[in-house]
Amino acid sequence: MQIGTIDSVWRYPVKGMRGEEVPHIYTAYTGVMGDRIYGVVAADGDPGHPWHTGRDQEEFLLYKASYTSSEELLLPKNLDATYSEWEPGIDPLYPDANEFKVNVETPEGVTYDDIEDPAFIADLEKLTGRSLRIHTTQRGIFDARPVSIFSLSAAAKLSEEMGMDIDKRRFRANFYVEWDNQADPFYELSLVGKTLKIGDWLEVVIVERDPRCTMITLDPDTAEATPKLLQHLARNHRGDAGVFAAVLQRGRVNKGDPILLK
Amino acid sequence: MTQHSKDNTDLIESFRLTLDGEDHTVPIAAGETLLQAALAAGIDAPHLCTEGRCGTCLSWLRNGEVNMESARALSPRNKERGYVLACQSRPSSTAPIWLDFDL
Repeated sequence: MQIGTIDSVWRYPVKGMRGEEVPHIYTAYTGVMGDRIYGVVAADGDPGHPWHTGRDQEEFLLYKASYTSSEELLLPKNLDATYSEWEPGIDPLYPDANEFKVNVETPEGVTYDDIEDPAFIADLEKLTGRSLRIHTTQRGIFDARPVSIFSLSAAAKLSEEMGMDIDKRRFRANFYVEWDNQADPFYELSLVGKTLKIGDWLEVVIVERDPRCTMITLDPDTAEATPKLLQHLARNHRGDAGVFAAVLQRGRVNKGDPILLK
Repeated sequence: MTQHSKDNTDLIESFRLTLDGEDHTVPIAAGETLLQAALAAGIDAPHLCTEGRCGTCLSWLRNGEVNMESARALSPRNKERGYVLACQSRPSSTAPIWLDFDL
Protein backbone atom coordinates (compact mmCIF):
# COMPACT_ATOMS: atom_id res chain seq x y z
CA MET A 1 0.00 0.00 0.00
CA GLN A 2 1.42 3.37 -0.99
CA ILE A 3 1.49 5.79 1.91
CA GLY A 4 3.56 8.62 0.54
CA THR A 5 6.21 10.03 -1.76
CA ILE A 6 9.83 11.12 -1.44
CA ASP A 7 9.79 14.92 -1.58
CA SER A 8 13.54 15.35 -1.58
CA VAL A 9 16.78 13.53 -0.87
CA TRP A 10 19.52 15.11 1.21
CA ARG A 11 22.99 14.37 2.46
CA TYR A 12 25.39 16.26 4.65
CA PRO A 13 29.01 15.86 3.53
CA VAL A 14 30.31 17.27 6.82
CA LYS A 15 28.51 16.56 10.06
CA GLY A 16 26.95 19.77 11.33
CA MET A 17 27.46 21.79 8.15
CA ARG A 18 24.86 22.72 5.54
CA GLY A 19 23.40 19.81 3.59
CA GLU A 20 22.93 19.34 -0.13
CA GLU A 21 19.84 18.17 -1.99
CA VAL A 22 20.55 15.50 -4.59
CA PRO A 23 18.29 14.04 -7.29
CA HIS A 24 18.89 10.45 -6.24
CA ILE A 25 21.17 8.54 -3.93
CA TYR A 26 22.33 5.06 -3.11
CA THR A 27 21.41 4.01 0.39
CA ALA A 28 23.41 1.24 2.01
CA TYR A 29 23.11 -0.48 5.37
CA THR A 30 25.41 2.26 6.55
CA GLY A 31 23.15 5.00 5.30
CA VAL A 32 23.00 7.46 2.45
CA MET A 33 26.05 7.58 0.20
CA GLY A 34 28.25 10.53 1.04
CA ASP A 35 26.28 11.40 4.16
CA ARG A 36 28.34 12.79 7.02
CA ILE A 37 31.62 11.46 5.71
CA TYR A 38 33.56 14.13 7.55
CA GLY A 39 33.26 15.40 11.07
CA VAL A 40 35.20 17.88 13.17
CA VAL A 41 36.29 16.38 16.48
CA ALA A 42 36.83 18.67 19.46
CA ALA A 43 39.49 17.65 21.95
CA ASP A 44 37.34 19.03 24.78
CA GLY A 45 34.13 17.53 23.38
CA ASP A 46 31.82 15.16 25.19
CA PRO A 47 33.39 11.69 25.09
CA GLY A 48 30.13 10.33 23.75
CA HIS A 49 29.58 13.11 21.23
CA PRO A 50 32.91 14.78 20.49
CA TRP A 51 31.73 16.57 17.34
CA HIS A 52 32.05 20.28 16.84
CA THR A 53 28.69 21.41 15.43
CA GLY A 54 26.21 24.24 15.54
CA ARG A 55 25.66 23.33 19.16
CA ASP A 56 29.08 24.82 19.83
CA GLN A 57 29.33 27.42 17.08
CA GLU A 58 25.97 28.38 15.62
CA GLU A 59 27.45 29.64 12.32
CA PHE A 60 29.03 26.23 11.70
CA LEU A 61 25.61 25.35 10.29
CA LEU A 62 26.16 27.91 7.51
CA TYR A 63 29.41 26.40 6.28
CA LYS A 64 28.85 24.99 2.79
CA ALA A 65 30.48 21.64 2.20
CA SER A 66 30.47 20.21 -1.32
CA TYR A 67 32.01 17.17 -2.88
CA THR A 68 34.49 18.05 -5.59
CA SER A 69 33.17 15.05 -7.55
CA SER A 70 29.57 15.22 -6.36
CA GLU A 71 28.06 13.40 -9.34
CA GLU A 72 30.42 10.48 -8.87
CA LEU A 73 29.28 10.02 -5.30
CA LEU A 74 25.59 9.43 -5.85
CA LEU A 75 25.61 5.82 -7.04
CA PRO A 76 28.29 3.10 -6.95
CA LYS A 77 29.60 2.53 -10.47
CA ASN A 78 28.90 -1.21 -10.42
CA LEU A 79 25.43 -0.90 -8.88
CA ASP A 80 23.59 -2.49 -11.81
CA ALA A 81 25.95 -5.45 -11.81
CA THR A 82 25.40 -6.11 -8.13
CA TYR A 83 21.64 -6.11 -8.65
CA SER A 84 21.45 -8.24 -11.77
CA GLU A 85 24.22 -10.77 -11.43
CA TRP A 86 24.24 -11.69 -7.77
CA GLU A 87 21.45 -12.93 -5.57
CA PRO A 88 20.22 -11.61 -3.24
CA GLY A 89 22.46 -8.66 -4.07
CA ILE A 90 25.93 -7.81 -2.81
CA ASP A 91 27.53 -4.67 -1.49
CA PRO A 92 28.63 -2.56 -4.45
CA LEU A 93 32.12 -1.14 -4.71
CA TYR A 94 32.29 2.31 -3.18
CA PRO A 95 34.53 4.99 -4.64
CA ASP A 96 38.03 5.13 -3.22
CA ALA A 97 38.42 7.24 -0.11
CA ASN A 98 40.29 9.99 -1.94
CA GLU A 99 37.29 10.53 -4.21
CA PHE A 100 35.27 11.82 -1.25
CA LYS A 101 37.14 15.11 -1.33
CA VAL A 102 35.14 17.99 0.11
CA ASN A 103 35.57 21.71 -0.34
CA VAL A 104 34.23 24.18 2.18
CA GLU A 105 33.01 27.76 1.99
CA THR A 106 32.63 29.69 5.20
CA PRO A 107 29.77 32.17 5.82
CA GLU A 108 32.32 34.94 5.22
CA GLY A 109 33.06 33.59 1.75
CA VAL A 110 36.47 32.07 2.51
CA THR A 111 36.91 28.86 0.53
CA TYR A 112 39.07 25.83 1.16
CA ASP A 113 39.53 23.42 -1.74
CA ASP A 114 39.98 20.53 0.65
CA ILE A 115 38.60 20.28 4.18
CA GLU A 116 41.73 18.31 5.04
CA ASP A 117 43.86 21.32 4.19
CA PRO A 118 45.52 22.14 7.56
CA ALA A 119 44.61 25.79 7.01
CA PHE A 120 40.92 24.98 7.41
CA ILE A 121 41.30 23.48 10.87
CA ALA A 122 43.86 26.11 11.87
CA ASP A 123 41.45 28.91 10.96
CA LEU A 124 38.53 27.19 12.70
CA GLU A 125 40.60 26.67 15.83
CA LYS A 126 41.56 30.32 15.82
CA LEU A 127 37.92 31.32 15.43
CA THR A 128 36.54 29.03 18.11
CA GLY A 129 39.42 28.70 20.55
CA ARG A 130 39.04 24.93 20.49
CA SER A 131 41.52 22.18 19.69
CA LEU A 132 40.00 20.49 16.63
CA ARG A 133 40.79 17.82 14.07
CA ILE A 134 39.14 16.30 11.02
CA HIS A 135 37.77 12.78 11.17
CA THR A 136 36.73 10.98 8.02
CA THR A 137 35.11 7.70 7.09
CA GLN A 138 33.35 6.44 3.96
CA ARG A 139 30.44 5.03 5.92
CA GLY A 140 28.86 7.97 7.67
CA ILE A 141 29.00 9.71 11.03
CA PHE A 142 25.41 9.69 12.21
CA ASP A 143 24.45 10.08 15.84
CA ALA A 144 21.99 7.27 16.24
CA ARG A 145 20.75 5.54 13.08
CA PRO A 146 21.80 5.56 9.43
CA VAL A 147 18.67 7.11 7.90
CA SER A 148 16.41 9.90 9.08
CA ILE A 149 12.95 10.75 7.75
CA PHE A 150 10.85 13.85 8.31
CA SER A 151 7.58 14.90 6.71
CA LEU A 152 6.55 18.16 5.13
CA SER A 153 3.26 17.90 7.03
CA ALA A 154 5.14 17.88 10.34
CA ALA A 155 7.03 21.02 9.33
CA ALA A 156 3.75 22.66 8.26
CA LYS A 157 1.99 21.72 11.49
CA LEU A 158 4.85 22.94 13.64
CA SER A 159 4.80 26.19 11.66
CA GLU A 160 1.10 26.53 12.41
CA GLU A 161 1.55 25.73 16.09
CA MET A 162 4.50 28.10 16.46
CA GLY A 163 3.03 30.90 14.37
CA MET A 164 6.21 31.16 12.33
CA ASP A 165 7.71 29.46 9.32
CA ILE A 166 9.54 26.34 10.41
CA ASP A 167 11.87 25.37 7.58
CA LYS A 168 12.08 21.60 7.07
CA ARG A 169 15.86 21.91 6.78
CA ARG A 170 16.09 22.53 10.52
CA PHE A 171 15.50 18.80 10.94
CA ARG A 172 18.42 17.70 8.77
CA ALA A 173 16.72 14.58 7.42
CA ASN A 174 17.97 12.36 4.61
CA PHE A 175 14.49 11.90 3.19
CA TYR A 176 11.80 14.54 3.39
CA VAL A 177 8.49 12.92 2.62
CA GLU A 178 4.93 13.81 1.72
CA TRP A 179 2.41 11.46 3.34
CA ASP A 180 -0.84 10.55 1.61
CA ASN A 181 -2.47 10.57 5.03
CA GLN A 182 -2.78 14.27 5.68
CA ALA A 183 -5.08 13.75 8.65
CA ASP A 184 -2.10 13.09 10.91
CA PRO A 185 0.63 15.69 10.34
CA PHE A 186 3.06 13.59 12.36
CA TYR A 187 2.17 10.33 10.62
CA GLU A 188 5.79 9.11 10.60
CA LEU A 189 5.70 8.77 14.38
CA SER A 190 3.06 6.07 14.02
CA LEU A 191 5.29 4.02 11.76
CA VAL A 192 7.78 2.89 14.41
CA GLY A 193 8.20 -0.85 13.99
CA LYS A 194 6.87 -0.81 10.42
CA THR A 195 8.75 -1.69 7.25
CA LEU A 196 8.66 0.63 4.26
CA LYS A 197 9.70 0.09 0.68
CA ILE A 198 11.02 3.21 -1.00
CA GLY A 199 11.40 3.18 -4.75
CA ASP A 200 12.25 -0.07 -6.49
CA TRP A 201 14.77 -1.44 -4.04
CA LEU A 202 15.25 0.24 -0.70
CA GLU A 203 13.57 -1.28 2.33
CA VAL A 204 13.83 0.28 5.76
CA VAL A 205 12.37 -0.44 9.13
CA ILE A 206 11.35 2.56 11.18
CA VAL A 207 13.26 2.02 14.38
CA GLU A 208 12.38 4.90 16.66
CA ARG A 209 11.35 8.49 16.98
CA ASP A 210 14.02 11.13 16.63
CA PRO A 211 14.58 12.94 19.93
CA ARG A 212 15.70 16.46 19.19
CA CYS A 213 18.24 18.91 20.57
CA THR A 214 19.30 22.52 20.07
CA MET A 215 20.27 21.96 16.43
CA ILE A 216 16.65 22.39 15.33
CA THR A 217 16.49 25.80 16.98
CA LEU A 218 18.97 27.19 14.44
CA ASP A 219 17.67 28.85 11.29
CA PRO A 220 19.35 27.06 8.37
CA ASP A 221 19.91 30.34 6.52
CA THR A 222 20.99 32.64 9.36
CA ALA A 223 21.95 30.36 12.28
CA GLU A 224 19.80 32.55 14.51
CA ALA A 225 18.35 30.51 17.34
CA THR A 226 14.69 30.09 18.22
CA PRO A 227 14.82 28.20 21.53
CA LYS A 228 11.02 28.31 21.66
CA LEU A 229 10.86 25.62 18.99
CA LEU A 230 12.62 23.03 21.12
CA GLN A 231 10.61 24.13 24.14
CA HIS A 232 7.42 23.68 22.14
CA LEU A 233 8.47 20.27 20.90
CA ALA A 234 9.29 19.13 24.43
CA ARG A 235 6.06 20.40 25.95
CA ASN A 236 3.73 19.26 23.17
CA HIS A 237 5.39 16.42 21.27
CA ARG A 238 7.63 14.68 23.81
CA GLY A 239 10.62 16.26 22.12
CA ASP A 240 10.35 14.04 19.06
CA ALA A 241 10.29 15.11 15.41
CA GLY A 242 10.77 12.67 12.56
CA VAL A 243 11.96 9.10 12.79
CA PHE A 244 15.09 7.02 12.42
CA ALA A 245 15.27 4.05 10.09
CA ALA A 246 17.55 1.06 9.66
CA VAL A 247 18.17 -0.38 6.21
CA LEU A 248 16.96 -3.90 5.43
CA GLN A 249 17.57 -3.85 1.68
CA ARG A 250 19.98 -1.47 -0.01
CA GLY A 251 19.02 0.52 -3.04
CA ARG A 252 18.73 3.66 -5.07
CA VAL A 253 16.25 6.32 -3.97
CA ASN A 254 14.96 9.03 -6.29
CA LYS A 255 13.14 12.27 -5.65
CA GLY A 256 9.47 11.44 -6.25
CA ASP A 257 9.78 7.74 -5.44
CA PRO A 258 6.68 6.14 -3.93
CA ILE A 259 6.78 4.94 -0.32
CA LEU A 260 4.96 1.70 0.36
CA LEU A 261 3.96 0.19 3.69
CA LYS A 262 4.85 -3.49 3.65
CA MET B 1 2.72 36.42 40.58
CA THR B 2 1.91 32.76 41.33
CA GLN B 3 3.19 31.67 44.77
CA HIS B 4 4.32 28.11 45.53
CA SER B 5 5.59 26.84 48.91
CA LYS B 6 8.25 24.50 50.30
CA ASP B 7 10.13 24.15 53.63
CA ASN B 8 13.78 23.25 53.21
CA THR B 9 16.22 26.06 52.33
CA ASP B 10 19.88 26.51 51.54
CA LEU B 11 21.43 29.60 50.00
CA ILE B 12 18.08 30.85 48.86
CA GLU B 13 14.55 29.82 49.76
CA SER B 14 12.94 30.56 46.46
CA PHE B 15 13.57 32.09 43.08
CA ARG B 16 11.66 33.97 40.43
CA LEU B 17 10.79 32.07 37.27
CA THR B 18 9.23 33.48 34.13
CA LEU B 19 7.48 31.21 31.66
CA ASP B 20 4.86 32.04 29.04
CA GLY B 21 4.78 35.59 30.29
CA GLU B 22 3.82 34.53 33.80
CA ASP B 23 5.99 35.05 36.86
CA HIS B 24 6.24 32.38 39.55
CA THR B 25 7.95 32.31 42.93
CA VAL B 26 9.46 28.84 43.13
CA PRO B 27 10.63 27.34 46.43
CA ILE B 28 13.91 25.48 46.16
CA ALA B 29 15.40 22.92 48.53
CA ALA B 30 19.07 22.35 49.25
CA GLY B 31 20.76 20.50 46.42
CA GLU B 32 17.93 20.94 43.95
CA THR B 33 18.49 22.23 40.45
CA LEU B 34 16.36 25.10 39.27
CA LEU B 35 14.56 22.72 36.94
CA GLN B 36 13.87 20.17 39.68
CA ALA B 37 12.45 22.90 41.86
CA ALA B 38 10.26 24.22 39.04
CA LEU B 39 8.88 20.78 38.22
CA ALA B 40 8.29 20.03 41.90
CA ALA B 41 6.25 23.21 42.05
CA GLY B 42 4.08 21.95 39.22
CA ILE B 43 5.45 24.30 36.59
CA ASP B 44 5.57 22.96 33.04
CA ALA B 45 9.17 24.01 32.54
CA PRO B 46 10.58 22.80 29.20
CA HIS B 47 12.97 19.89 29.58
CA LEU B 48 13.92 16.58 28.00
CA CYS B 49 17.19 14.85 28.85
CA THR B 50 17.90 16.60 32.20
CA GLU B 51 21.57 15.77 31.64
CA GLY B 52 22.74 18.99 30.01
CA ARG B 53 22.84 17.48 26.55
CA CYS B 54 19.72 18.47 24.64
CA GLY B 55 19.47 22.15 25.54
CA THR B 56 15.69 22.16 25.96
CA CYS B 57 15.86 23.85 29.38
CA LEU B 58 17.96 26.71 28.01
CA SER B 59 16.95 29.79 29.92
CA TRP B 60 18.19 33.27 30.78
CA LEU B 61 19.61 33.83 34.23
CA ARG B 62 18.51 37.42 34.49
CA ASN B 63 19.73 37.70 38.05
CA GLY B 64 21.67 35.62 40.55
CA GLU B 65 24.46 33.09 40.40
CA VAL B 66 24.46 29.37 39.74
CA ASN B 67 26.87 26.50 39.37
CA MET B 68 26.35 24.19 36.42
CA GLU B 69 27.49 20.60 36.71
CA SER B 70 27.61 20.32 32.93
CA ALA B 71 27.05 22.78 30.15
CA ARG B 72 27.49 20.59 27.10
CA ALA B 73 24.51 22.05 25.27
CA LEU B 74 25.51 25.62 25.99
CA SER B 75 27.37 27.40 23.20
CA PRO B 76 29.87 30.17 23.93
CA ARG B 77 27.41 32.64 22.41
CA ASN B 78 24.69 31.56 24.80
CA LYS B 79 27.06 31.66 27.77
CA GLU B 80 27.93 35.25 26.89
CA ARG B 81 24.23 36.07 26.81
CA GLY B 82 23.89 34.82 30.37
CA TYR B 83 21.93 31.73 29.38
CA VAL B 84 22.06 28.60 31.53
CA LEU B 85 20.75 25.06 31.46
CA ALA B 86 18.14 24.89 34.21
CA CYS B 87 18.62 21.13 34.64
CA GLN B 88 22.25 21.68 35.60
CA SER B 89 21.94 24.89 37.60
CA ARG B 90 22.09 25.11 41.38
CA PRO B 91 22.23 28.37 43.33
CA SER B 92 25.80 29.34 44.24
CA SER B 93 25.20 32.50 46.23
CA THR B 94 22.53 34.24 48.24
CA ALA B 95 21.82 36.65 45.38
CA PRO B 96 18.18 36.52 44.28
CA ILE B 97 17.68 34.37 41.21
CA TRP B 98 15.47 35.26 38.27
CA LEU B 99 15.25 32.56 35.61
CA ASP B 100 13.48 33.43 32.38
CA PHE B 101 12.40 30.74 29.90
CA ASP B 102 10.82 33.25 27.53
CA LEU B 103 13.79 33.57 25.20
